[in-house]
Amino acid sequence: MSFRDTGPLIALVVIVGIFAALSPGFRTLSNAQNIMDAAAVLAVVTCGVTFVLMMGSIDLSTPGIMGASAITVALLVANNRNDNELGLLGVALAILVAAGLGCLSGLALVLLKVPSFMTTLGVSAVGLGVATLLFAGVQPNISDGTLSGWAVDRFLGLSTLTWIAVACVLVGWMVQRYTRLGRYAFAIGGAEEVLALSGVNVKPYKVAVFTMAGAFYGLGGVMVTSQLGAGLVQAGRGYDFSAITAAVVGGTLLAGGRGGVLHSTVGVLLVTVLTNGLVLVGVSPYWQGGVQGLIVVAAVAAAVIPQRRRNQVTK
Amino acid sequence: MSTPVVTKPAPDAATVARPTVGQRLTAFMPVIALVVLLAALTVADPSFLTQSSLTAVVRTAAPLVVLAAGATLVVLCGGIDLSIAALCSLGTVLFAMWLPDLGGLTLLAVVAATGAIGALQGLAHVFLRIPSFIVTLGGMSIFGAVALVISDAGPIRVVDREATHWLTLYLAGVLPMAFVVALLVVAVVWTVQRFTPLDSWIRATGYSESAARLASAPVDRVKVAAFTVSGACAGLAAVMLVSRNFSGSPTMADNLLLPAVAAIVVGGTAITGGHGSLWRSLAGALVVTLLRVGLPIVGVPSAYEQILYGAIIVAAVALTLDRSKLLIIK
Repeated sequence: MSFRDTGPLIALVVIVGIFAALSPGFRTLSNAQNIMDAAAVLAVVTCGVTFVLMMGSIDLSTPGIMGASAITVALLVANNRNDNELGLLGVALAILVAAGLGCLSGLALVLLKVPSFMTTLGVSAVGLGVATLLFAGVQPNISDGTLSGWAVDRFLGLSTLTWIAVACVLVGWMVQRYTRLGRYAFAIGGAEEVLALSGVNVKPYKVAVFTMAGAFYGLGGVMVTSQLGAGLVQAGRGYDFSAITAAVVGGTLLAGGRGGVLHSTVGVLLVTVLTNGLVLVGVSPYWQGGVQGLIVVAAVAAAVIPQRRRNQVTK
Repeated sequence: MSTPVVTKPAPDAATVARPTVGQRLTAFMPVIALVVLLAALTVADPSFLTQSSLTAVVRTAAPLVVLAAGATLVVLCGGIDLSIAALCSLGTVLFAMWLPDLGGLTLLAVVAATGAIGALQGLAHVFLRIPSFIVTLGGMSIFGAVALVISDAGPIRVVDREATHWLTLYLAGVLPMAFVVALLVVAVVWTVQRFTPLDSWIRATGYSESAARLASAPVDRVKVAAFTVSGACAGLAAVMLVSRNFSGSPTMADNLLLPAVAAIVVGGTAITGGHGSLWRSLAGALVVTLLRVGLPIVGVPSAYEQILYGAIIVAAVALTLDRSKLLIIK
């Protein structure tokens, strides 16, 4: 365990300590529950983005994909717009749509050779467009008991959504640790040429990583729908940046090849605790985005300092 | 961008590269697209090709032209500025807040402020060696937050309409003043760039940054300057938006990011840097605006607009990308 691995964890403990000392409202059990519940969606989304960052790519498609899956799931389960009542099958289909959109970014990356930040910006727009088309001016409110129950039902003090997020983190960690996809995602970020020269066809793995990331965003969109009780086009607004912030703060390098799902999860908790704590000590919630922007720039700068002399060229 | 740049040895000693058919086609792509679009719209609705509708199109396009023109400089250096739209929104809020105190000087103050913010991003990019898209993505988030906080998350009405009245006038009764200003910005920046060493410095930085450094081009200063101009342009675009909407709002320009990026890449400026120009972005901005105005005319619901932007961006980048520079695409 190097400082790079333990640093975010220490920072998390320090921040929790500071807020606990400053605000009596922070150091309560119910606030701890709040923080865990508030972190759920971000944790799932960050799982997906982590694999993309591990490859050294970037993913800005989160808002579009989440929006598309949020509307899709709202229209497929019992709702006020049509007679569909697919239940969990609807959830699966929405995740499938999201995975398809993610696959699209991956395909554009490897087939058209367009850098990922451009393909994913494009796919985000496509996803928002699809969501707007499906939205068709009337908000789909869900009446499906299971889905809306996810946000309310509690088990051991945490909502079902939080347990879903915990399961996602576990699955993400297993994929990263024990599957070829996860190992190759690391290797692609570390040294793509070496991997390609040793006879590995990296293209299918890149597409697979973007597809899997899309599926995670899709689940995130479903979870937002469950929280709001309605499908919204803007379900994923801001999650792209929050997820990248969380992953980077957790110790996943933007250059790829480092970090992982567990690192990112620490980052998610850091970001969520910071958001929650700042509000409790009386900082306007509007600053939230600004704080995230500052810490992402600081975290990237800190990660780059060791290689500052070597990296003369930054684009 | 985190795309590793691979310096390959030149295939021939003297390579006066002859443009291929594809390159010739992409060179005229924005103009061809513009003409085709105009023709298609005229066929779809014969009453479209009138003076009043064309005037309306260029009037709508003006802020987009200014935004895209500024960001083009950053793209020419091989970077990207994702913060322009958020900075422009912040600009509208600043303008609306400062107008009562500063009066006629507000325009200059806003442009100076956004220019300084752009310079700050450039400095962070150059000195901390953070990829430009991360600096500006962070900037986007920060400017959005600042705008929300200082405006208290609501629109600010502009009561004194005299200060921006001149932007709503028409030159010779036809050309909207805002568009004339946009043209002037493009022309002035282009002239300055063309008739000083700046042009070669920017291109050298974009084509091959390490070579430019070895040739002792002031790479860092050029980049900071590009970000400064990009920021200042966002401020000017903000004033144009205020002159049209009579208010400033913390999210007013947020949906202009995608059209601006689309305008740059549709114009044919390579996202890899070096190749392109401000005039291309002007044409690109007009194409994007025509699409936006034209979709409802041909009967396509405007929800398809977003999907179209996404497809255009990916397709245009795929066409204009300089693949010789990229061995690995991240």
